[in-house]
Amino acid sequence: MDYNNNFEHKMYAHCETGTLVSLLNNAGYKITEAMVFGLASGIFFGYLDTKVFSFPTFIVRSKPGEVRKNLSKVLNIKLKTFKFKDADKGMQKLDNLLAEGKVVGAQVDFFYMDYFPQWMRVHNNVHFINIIGKEGNDYIISDSYNREIAKLDQSLLKKARWAGGNMAPKGFLYYPEKLNPDVDLKKLIPKTIKKAARNMLNLPLSFIGVKGIYKFADKLKTWSKQVRDIEHFSHEIIKINILLEEQGTGGAGFRYMYAAYLKQAGEIMNSSVLNEMSEQIMQIGDDWRNISYFAAKIGKNRDLGEDRIAELSEMIRKQGDAEKIFFTKLKKVY
Amino acid sequence: MTKNNNELTLEIAQLLIDSLNITHVEAKDVNITTPLFSEENELELDSVDAIEIVVAIQRAYGIRINSELPTREILNSIQSIADFLIKENATEKVA
Repeated sequence: MDYNNNFEHKMYAHCETGTLVSLLNNAGYKITEAMVFGLASGIFFGYLDTKVFSFPTFIVRSKPGEVRKNLSKVLNIKLKTFKFKDADKGMQKLDNLLAEGKVVGAQVDFFYMDYFPQWMRVHNNVHFINIIGKEGNDYIISDSYNREIAKLDQSLLKKARWAGGNMAPKGFLYYPEKLNPDVDLKKLIPKTIKKAARNMLNLPLSFIGVKGIYKFADKLKTWSKQVRDIEHFSHEIIKINILLEEQGTGGAGFRYMYAAYLKQAGEIMNSSVLNEMSEQIMQIGDDWRNISYFAAKIGKNRDLGEDRIAELSEMIRKQGDAEKIFFTKLKKVY
Repeated sequence: MTKNNNELTLEIAQLLIDSLNITHVEAKDVNITTPLFSEENELELDSVDAIEIVVAIQRAYGIRINSELPTREILNSIQSIADFLIKENATEKVA
């Protein structure tokens, strides 16, 4: 394959952070996925019940693209970005960048990534990949969800980059243009930790952060009145597991990834307190995983009576309590 | 006594069968390298089963599967689960 031979492909837990880590590591800036996520204050919670979504849902991380933007700002690195109205111009630009020997990050619709088996592929407009070369009509793809470097036909890549709908990629490309070798992590870490805690505790919106977890717990009890039938209800309850565990979260709705960040941050800061906080969010993650397990089980068995939903709601409410205590303590560390 | 790879993979296959109440196949007949969530796998799993497998392994071997290594890589096949347990020095059941 015709691509930058020095490029090291690795699997990562999440596509956005994984793509970013790969791009930075391959540009010579060594950083871990957990550090990228933590420095970008990616940990989050939001209960979303708006017309944009056909049914209430929730997020467990900052919105797609925010990790990249925040990391760039925090580390003072320049990530050159492009969006295109004209697909042909957007494909030509990609070819030009590859010809210059650049590895390029791209936003795509996951559905067109045909190196994954068909049963895995669903439409998701915010999948990120790295494009590392071109061979004939095929692009050479490093996808952090795939074990190997893969090939993707140019017509499929074009469809994937210009898929329509919510969060459409619009041909989005990016690459690191300027790195900052003088990053003082000891100065940055306290700021990013405070920001994450503020996001979880102090944003003045009832559906965001810890307040969002409580809202989720309350509103879950009304879902039975919003669903079409038991199949729909089962699907929505199983989706709780999918959102917490399966969408590249690193497990437990990114709580394990944030725990890994606090552990690494503790080593850098020589702080036993951060190490303890890492253990605490890891345990909170274990409880989110139990929620995933419970939701998957009752959803699969169609065991969705009022008592079961109340039980699930109570488990989520307790997570609100646990995260409120955790982020309040975390905010006071620095 | 340390288990060899055959013993460990057979044990994992049996754990999956028991925890997911699978009745149509025996542990010895499960291919240990076929991707777990592919149509070719004898266990006929769907993606909802992933969390049950994660929890079953965690409980049985007393370990935590978290983001240090992507879960999807660990759960790729019975062999990859065995490789993970060997790497974590957690091949003995605790429950």
